[in-house]
Amino acid sequence: MKSYRLTETLKKFLIYAVLIIFAFVMIFPFLYMLTTSFKLPKDTFRYPPRLLPRDALTMEVAGFDDPLPLYYVTVDGREEQFVLIESNIRTGVYADPNNPDVTVELPVSEVEPRGGFTNQEAITVAGEEQKLWDVLVNGEIVPMIQVSQTALGRFADPNDLSREVLQNVRLSQPVEELSAHPQNYNEVVDLQGMDRSLSNTALVTILVVSGQLITSILGGYAFARLRFPGRDKLFVVYLGTIMIPFVVLITPLYQLMVTIGWVDKLAALIVPWIFTAYGTFLMRQFFITIPKEIEEAALIDGASRLEILLRIFIPASTPALATLATFTFLYAWNSFFWPLVVINTGNVENHVLTLSLNVLRGRASDSPNLILAGAAIAILPPMIIFIFGQRFFVESATSSGVKG
Amino acid sequence: MTAATVGSREKQSPESGVDLWLRLVMIWHVILGLGSLGGIAYVWAGADLADWVKILVSVALGLTAVASIVAVNDINGRKHRGRTISLAVNYLGFLVAFFGSLHRIGVFTGIDSLADSFLQGLPFLILVFAGFFIGTLTDRYQKPATQRALKQTSKAMMIVAGIAFLLAVGIHNGILVLLGKLTNPVILLMVVVTAVFGLMLWAMWRQPSAEAMNATNADNEMLSGYLFLSPNLLGFLFFFAGPLLLSLYVSFTNWDAFGTKDWVGLANYGRIVNIDVARLNTITQLASEAIDVTVYDELTRFEIFGKSYIVGAQDKLFWLSLRNTLTFVLLSVPLSVIPALFLSNLLNSKIAGMKFFRAVYFLPSVAAVVGIALVWQWLFNATIGYINYFITVMVDFLNSVGGSFFDPQIRWLSDSNTALLAVVIVAAWQWMGFNTVLFLAGLQNIPRSLYEAATVDGANSWQQFWKVTLPLLAPTTFFVITTTTIQAMQIFEQVFILIPTNPAGPNNSTLTLVLYLYQKGFQRFEQGYASAIAWVLFVIIFGATLFQFQRQRASGSSYDA
Repeated sequence: MKSYRLTETLKKFLIYAVLIIFAFVMIFPFLYMLTTSFKLPKDTFRYPPRLLPRDALTMEVAGFDDPLPLYYVTVDGREEQFVLIESNIRTGVYADPNNPDVTVELPVSEVEPRGGFTNQEAITVAGEEQKLWDVLVNGEIVPMIQVSQTALGRFADPNDLSREVLQNVRLSQPVEELSAHPQNYNEVVDLQGMDRSLSNTALVTILVVSGQLITSILGGYAFARLRFPGRDKLFVVYLGTIMIPFVVLITPLYQLMVTIGWVDKLAALIVPWIFTAYGTFLMRQFFITIPKEIEEAALIDGASRLEILLRIFIPASTPALATLATFTFLYAWNSFFWPLVVINTGNVENHVLTLSLNVLRGRASDSPNLILAGAAIAILPPMIIFIFGQRFFVESATSSGVKG
Repeated sequence: MTAATVGSREKQSPESGVDLWLRLVMIWHVILGLGSLGGIAYVWAGADLADWVKILVSVALGLTAVASIVAVNDINGRKHRGRTISLAVNYLGFLVAFFGSLHRIGVFTGIDSLADSFLQGLPFLILVFAGFFIGTLTDRYQKPATQRALKQTSKAMMIVAGIAFLLAVGIHNGILVLLGKLTNPVILLMVVVTAVFGLMLWAMWRQPSAEAMNATNADNEMLSGYLFLSPNLLGFLFFFAGPLLLSLYVSFTNWDAFGTKDWVGLANYGRIVNIDVARLNTITQLASEAIDVTVYDELTRFEIFGKSYIVGAQDKLFWLSLRNTLTFVLLSVPLSVIPALFLSNLLNSKIAGMKFFRAVYFLPSVAAVVGIALVWQWLFNATIGYINYFITVMVDFLNSVGGSFFDPQIRWLSDSNTALLAVVIVAAWQWMGFNTVLFLAGLQNIPRSLYEAATVDGANSWQQFWKVTLPLLAPTTFFVITTTTIQAMQIFEQVFILIPTNPAGPNNSTLTLVLYLYQKGFQRFEQGYASAIAWVLFVIIFGATLFQFQRQRASGSSYDA
């Protein structure tokens, strides 16, 4: 009995481990998007990458106009925070010709040629002639050869500027703190007119969703409840068209838009998407489950068809309506191919969010923080709605299963 | 008359008004018929229109004329068919005139200026929705007083917020602009015609006319049926069925979207499928010695039974894109279906937090593909991207415990070996959660009792999965595989955004069918050829679906046996 419980616990633990790993995989890109959208450009190009945005700290130091960046510096085995007061100092690495493994780093300006500039002494090391330099080591002048040159930064204790350390700036660890730069969002809105795109997308989405709900309700009701010649054949045709891929339509639909003068117009993103076989089908399937008796009673009481639809069918089918609405909402909000074809790249005014992102991708290709802030603007609204109406999203996914 | 007349609530006394209205409708149909005939004459005499437009207009007007004559005759004889025809003609005429007026006034293109001020109105619109939501809460409360209060609050909120919304988006300006347009005589005429059509429609539709025309219940139901279906059906014909037929026609032409449109028959299709296979003496022989390189581009060469062959294609890019698309399908469908099946089974094992995990897995399918692809573009970055970083960390870890692996530092998006794989990863990541939700719904339909019976019979979980879950889940599995395959065949957006600079990718390694169609149709404007590619794609998708359908049937029957 005990071992059974143990295996059960172990099994549960394993299940949760797998589920959590997958959950991490699913969420990580969004996490990365959000945190990067709050970063400074410099921070985004750091390797190894870090998730959270950080700012390099600076400090006001008397005698300097600008605040100086702070770095971690190791002095006498202790880690301290020093400010960088000068960078790109040409520095030589010097070594005793007799003991080349021990090197001293000093700025080139602090080293004198041994014997003067005109008559510098030299020594032959390993068959090569090397110039000799006077290098000050522990208060003593030692003749040394230059092994190599680098550029170092001069770091100093902000409280006591005379305590100085020379160190490679690129390899030094800057002092940082967590931060956030929401102004990235302002910047991307200004750069790409994302506010107008957001307005366009919202308008298009709302009109497509409400238009499609209306035509689907009316059509679904006709298919479900009203008898007229040719109804069943028509329904079969509707069903058959559900699986025709959109790409077959894209060329002629574009031609139609050219003919009626809707190229570059938001109307082209709205009107053709109001009439769908899928929505009609979905509503019809729901309406046939509503008992006929209620309707017949209402008819005898003298209610018109429209009244019956408004008073009985629509209130009874809120879940189906919400499902269709979420489905259509996602489709309209996220669509890209059709806008790409029908809205000209140059006409920024009528860009929807996805089109703006497409342009932004090229314009801000060196600032991931801006690009991902733009992506967040497009991705977050559906997600927020998803958090509130999760049930309908899941239902809209599963209800598409009735197709099969 | 045997049929019962409708209208129990109306007074049965004969109205002299009805006869007057019916006579008016007949006169209108006479005018309409004559006008249509005059229209045909005008179209062929002087109008500057393309031939196919002339034919189309003539057919429409001719039908109107014939229908009007029949309608007049039938109305005169009080046959109900006359009412039906009259209603149909006037309804269609009304719609054409109405939408024609809206089009001329510029209501559709005016949506653009609405977008200017729409953001200011959005908060009010959200309030309208909130009001609606409050209205739907009523059935949660028992007390009639609470219900009434809620209903009234909802109504008041929706009205006030609605008016505020209209004012915020500047509806008054819009109306002024529209009224200003009415001074244009053409527009004014169209509006008047719309009104006349509407009036005649009303005259024929109303109850007294129905009675006078001896309408039966079935007649009325039929009319209602067509009326309710009409918005959907007409839009569907205009924006879907019509373009679909046009697309088929265009695929037989060499249309470049601007001018020339010549019938070329099957030439487009011929160019797509035209390939040539030739024997080679040695595998390294020059292509020009075996195939006609002025027509064919070398596609591939292979050796079989010790003999070498070369395959050339007239449209090499089509075949490349077909190969890439099929590769993509073969990789992305299993990668997004099998883990989904696995995850859904874990989620179905009655664990706490199932809804949370389901929501998390579903998250990617809510997000815009464009946005997601941008995020992944940076994750795939060769130097600072997380994917390579994770690989490096993993390799370092394995090496630290004694492995000797080499950190590949993959240049995901610019290496022709990995670019398509990168697209597969993004797509599988996005589709997996959606499929998990579908599988989970299917699993929850399997009765628990079956598992209990299996447990009693001594089946372990593994056997239960193969013998109970999988067979009973077959319809869902079929549906998931079919829809994912259809989706994968049409892969476009992910590739278009993910692969920088040229979406066809390094060495055309991410050129997919739809991307190729887009390049042909909307970058080179060979729309005839693009339409042909679209239909070939449709046939492939259709074939794949049919194939899966057959297999589903075959396997389904074997379980019955």
